[in-house]
Amino acid sequence: MTATTAPEAALGVLPRSDGSAKYSHAGYTVTASVNGPIEAQRRDEHAYEAHVDVIVRPAAGVGGTRERHLEALLQASLSQLILVKNFPRSLIQIVLQVEDSPENDYVNTKLVQASLNFAIMPALMQTAVLALLSAGVPMRATATATAVAVVHQDGAKRTIVEPSPREIETAESVHALAFTSHGGLLLAESEGDFTVKEWDDLYETAKGICCRSAPAKEGMAMVLDDEESAGTDMRQFLRSTMESKVAADLHWK
Amino acid sequence: MPREAEPSLNERQFVAQAIQENLRLDGRELDQYRPLELTFGDQYGVADVTLGKTRVLAKATAEVTVPYADRPLDGIFTIATELSPMTSPAFEVNRPTETEVLLSRLLEKTVRRSGALDTESLCLVAGQKCWSVRVDVHVLSHDGNLIDAACAAVVAALRHFRKPDTSMEGGLLTVYTPAEREPVPLSWLHSPFCVTWSFFGEEGEMAVLDATWIEEQVRVGSCTVSLNKHGEICQIAKLGGTPVEAVALLQCTSVALAKVKEFSDLLDTRLAEDLKRRDKGGFMAELRAENDR
Repeated sequence: MTATTAPEAALGVLPRSDGSAKYSHAGYTVTASVNGPIEAQRRDEHAYEAHVDVIVRPAAGVGGTRERHLEALLQASLSQLILVKNFPRSLIQIVLQVEDSPENDYVNTKLVQASLNFAIMPALMQTAVLALLSAGVPMRATATATAVAVVHQDGAKRTIVEPSPREIETAESVHALAFTSHGGLLLAESEGDFTVKEWDDLYETAKGICCRSAPAKEGMAMVLDDEESAGTDMRQFLRSTMESKVAADLHWK
Repeated sequence: MPREAEPSLNERQFVAQAIQENLRLDGRELDQYRPLELTFGDQYGVADVTLGKTRVLAKATAEVTVPYADRPLDGIFTIATELSPMTSPAFEVNRPTETEVLLSRLLEKTVRRSGALDTESLCLVAGQKCWSVRVDVHVLSHDGNLIDAACAAVVAALRHFRKPDTSMEGGLLTVYTPAEREPVPLSWLHSPFCVTWSFFGEEGEMAVLDATWIEEQVRVGSCTVSLNKHGEICQIAKLGGTPVEAVALLQCTSVALAKVKEFSDLLDTRLAEDLKRRDKGGFMAELRAENDR
């Protein structure tokens, strides 16, 4: 399986949820559904804001502590984006179902206990944002995310964007970074050994991918971008996905 | 968690009366399925079944474990069905509902207890090592007839699945990674499918196939027949509801057989297409490690 492919997304794939999205990039395929604002259970109810509930479900096996960790991270980041104060005492439920993740052909995986790693974080974050947009949940900003790994190769350090499972195994450190559409850092999670200098470098790399300055808009008669021009420019990808969805929805006008 | 909104009295009467007049909301015949779509993933053992707006994803995986002490010659085969809030916000994580329990029971009876997968072939070293095959059923969207869609997805995923090849030399067990040896398919004996009938009317005289979610809310009873294309019945489940004439049930079973033959053919063609897609350069026949039966 080729690890470096252009991202692909479809919005509104599930007919019965308020909003949904399917996203695949770098071998990961994630489907998300968003329901909200809905009635919250008593124990989740906040008097002044909506509770954001994130559920990550692995493709195979039972979710464990790693999934709960990813859920906690996503919940904290997405609560920052969603205007939770607009919906007191309610619940916004985001379910992320991992459908496909790249496999390492060189090891036999243990699968009954699923263990996800940070490389899946960008896919989860991106799908969640797309599904939230699809559900029309009011948000402060959108977010884009990427994963970067630092590998030691031929005596020199090299950063790899969207590493494959094989590269993660040999990498010295793996990082997941997310940025808001205003260019602010939303999430930075790291695993492994690295120096501040290395982190600064990969921060710049990730920022280049997530927050490339948007090109000038071509007025009303805009041509819908196809995927290859998006490349790894995540912000442009998010924008073009939404634009094509809106164009398809307003086709009747 | 919010409860699923029940259909109103008007909706109920409308659906029930329409069926009495041989009409359905989506314009189908009473014994007509919604178009069944089946796709396989890039990996082995991933099957995605779409039946109208119902969508089920099944993923099969295998790993080497220790067999159960009371069954040292058998491998382990489990089907995990957990309905997530993705299906409907009324489902809660880690709290099984009646739908979920019934679904997992029926899949268990249809696929596991009918001996579709030869569990003895999963044994590697008697009493010490065996394969544990696990199928995870993910219901992405629920618009009625979950059982038939889930059963088709499980069977398709297991038929598509390949487990790593193994060899035994001088008491030393080697499990080969996919890079070393092409994985091998499971020892599959027959493909059972579920066909669910829903009954309508005062005495359950109207039998309807592939009910949608709203029809499921209105029906007076249902009956699930599991059988394979040879007409061998694996189980019949009629859990409560209005009693139905035995002759009507016999009629249902014979129609079910025709439907199962259609599903079997569809699965076979899809599997053949998928094999062709993977067989780049025609090396598959040489890479294959298993013997022809």
